[in-house]
Amino acid sequence: MTVAETTGAQRRPALAQGSTSGRRRVRRSSPRVPFLFAVPSIAGLLLLMVYPTVYLLGLAFTESNLALPLQRWTGLTNFTDALQSTAFPGSISRSVVFAAASTVLVVVTGTALALLLRARGDRLGVLGVLLLLPLVTPPVMVGVAWKLMLAPVGGAFTGIWSHVGLDGFNPLGSSTGAFLTLLLIYTWQWMPLVTILVFAALLDVPRDLVEAAQLDGAGRIAVFHHVVWPSIRTTVWAALLLALVLGFKVFDLVVVVTSGGPGFSTMLSSFFIYRTGLQNSYEIGVASAATVIFVAVVSAVMAIVGIARKRAVAEA
Amino acid sequence: MNAMVPSGHPGPTSVGRLAASRRQILRGALVGTSALAAGRLLTACGGSSASAQVDAGAKASLKGKTISLLVNQPHVIAFKDVLAKQFEKEFGGTLKVTAAPYDQLTSKQILDVQSGAGQFDVFDYFYFGLGSLVAADALVDLTAWIKSQSDIDTGDFLRSIWDPYTLYDGKRYGLPFDGDTHILFYNAKVFDTYKLDPPKTWDDYDAAVEKITKDSHGKVYGAVIEGQQVPMILGCTFINRLAGYGGSLVDSDGKPDLNTDEAVQALTGLINVSKYALPTPLQIGFDQANSAFLSGQGAMIDTWTDMALKASDPSMSKVVDAWDAVPLPVGGSNTKPRTALDAGFGLGVSAGSQQQVEAAEFVKWATSKANNLAVASKAGTGIDPARTSVLNDAAYKKSLPRAYDTIRTGLVGDPLAWPAGPDDPAGLQAMCDEIALAIQGKKSAEQALSDATDQWRKGASG
Repeated sequence: MTVAETTGAQRRPALAQGSTSGRRRVRRSSPRVPFLFAVPSIAGLLLLMVYPTVYLLGLAFTESNLALPLQRWTGLTNFTDALQSTAFPGSISRSVVFAAASTVLVVVTGTALALLLRARGDRLGVLGVLLLLPLVTPPVMVGVAWKLMLAPVGGAFTGIWSHVGLDGFNPLGSSTGAFLTLLLIYTWQWMPLVTILVFAALLDVPRDLVEAAQLDGAGRIAVFHHVVWPSIRTTVWAALLLALVLGFKVFDLVVVVTSGGPGFSTMLSSFFIYRTGLQNSYEIGVASAATVIFVAVVSAVMAIVGIARKRAVAEA
Repeated sequence: MNAMVPSGHPGPTSVGRLAASRRQILRGALVGTSALAAGRLLTACGGSSASAQVDAGAKASLKGKTISLLVNQPHVIAFKDVLAKQFEKEFGGTLKVTAAPYDQLTSKQILDVQSGAGQFDVFDYFYFGLGSLVAADALVDLTAWIKSQSDIDTGDFLRSIWDPYTLYDGKRYGLPFDGDTHILFYNAKVFDTYKLDPPKTWDDYDAAVEKITKDSHGKVYGAVIEGQQVPMILGCTFINRLAGYGGSLVDSDGKPDLNTDEAVQALTGLINVSKYALPTPLQIGFDQANSAFLSGQGAMIDTWTDMALKASDPSMSKVVDAWDAVPLPVGGSNTKPRTALDAGFGLGVSAGSQQQVEAAEFVKWATSKANNLAVASKAGTGIDPARTSVLNDAAYKKSLPRAYDTIRTGLVGDPLAWPAGPDDPAGLQAMCDEIALAIQGKKSAEQALSDATDQWRKGASG
């Protein structure tokens, strides 16, 4: 009998008898196995989240530019510089307005479109697929396409403006026009995401319940309110949170369509941060401080919406 | 708690141990990762390497070599269609050309060196980004090497661009490649139709713009004003007018100063004329501006001299027989035409290059008379002469006869150079932001220029 065999033979009886040493071995080894399997993911998360976050904070509290990061500790100087700059404070409120307005537009139009598509049947069909095209188009291409269509010279809309007596009209030429145009392009691009999510949820609405309600004399609005909405409410709230995050993150469209102008009309925080850190001034320290402030604002908004969602879902 | 432990799950003691162990591991990993980042912060703090240089007299053969370049996107044709072919023909070598949009060029060059990637040997750099690149240790000091190379013929580079394009803090970091200046192009047929003479003053210009736009009922706009809110576009538009009024971007001590009568006059004129220009100036960039002039929708445009080649090319232009060019107008008390060094590029050696001597040899070759003539004479390259001999060459003169005298006057004169310190790109952006607010009507010209000066001096962000 080898040593190994002896040990194994002794371990099995020990387990069966529930001896202290046997239990210790099992309890020490087996529960850790799944955790060890998770170690690569945890390590990845730490490297991809903790390291950049600490580095970002380091940049925010030091004199840093693109060429020479982390030169010396400057405390809150970068934060005050960002908050005292001409563009940043306005960009925060603009970002919040943009995210809120775009979320409402995307969710309302996306849900309405899903309801219309569901009324046609349980398949999206060719029309539905075509409606989803903006979602699969790269955002930069969406921006380029709209920029070309809105160009005052030779743009696709030039003839239309002329036809309705608006020669030389450029919707991107005024502050309000540029902001609204950006909002509409964004809605056109992301509305299909909500449509897909809500359409999928609508497929799970029990048919018999709808029919029963109809038999009881419920109209369309009553059926939607009492039968359909409770079934899709969770999905719509999830889509809303997603749309809100996307609304805060919008960047590509601003770069391509308006470059933050005219003036600061479409200068959203994400574009300000990019411009400060990587364009012209290369002030990575100020850009990092602005990022920290922006994250705090986004977190506060998300927390409020999160609480509202929790209450709404709980009341169901 | 026991009730919550599922059947078969380790008991409370074990869970406690496991949880403690997991927490310890997670905490350890978190601390470790944070320490790694913090260590990186500490080691990076205050770190700065001395700038590299190519030694005097260093020589290398370009035969069979591959040179990697990071260039301004509009220069791609010059490098790929002209220089790459010539390089292969002369040396059997290869040029690997990577293009970056003009607004990302300097940051990509800095990052290539700072990240340690060192992917490129040669940078096609903006001269007003020179200070930023030098501060980033991204360019190799070529002072001694240039002095030792008798075949460079530095005296042939245009005096107006030689120092602004290459010299920073007493050292030379490259050789001039693209002598960019602006002149005023106009559509002579439109001017004939409305019985106008080409403008000599900015007041003439403003009056002509208003008349053409009003009288044509918007069929033709009196001018195309490039107003996209970046130094390369709106900055050029304002600085052209500032130069015409005899102004400058800095005071006698070299500090940014836009609180001057000349600057206020220049901006006031720009604000007033914007409402008659192609709508809407603040959203007009290069492509739209060029299209509008070349299609005949805009009667005037102040832009780079290579527009002469585009306007003469029937595949690009509907105004082949109609265009002409004059020097930028003058204004106020100034009577001497003066252009500005708008943009403008040099070629320098990347500090991240593994073959810096070869890269320096390439810079010398690419900026030679023969190659400067080849790129400056070809439509679409976006390159203007950087050498006196090229400017005087019959072949260059023949390539754009109508604009030749105007271009020559601008380049051999005393063009207004932009400041090129590390903080100046941010200051120029602040200036553009304030000018845009003034054009929008949100600030007066005086207020916008005062705010721009304050921000520029402070080295302010956004």
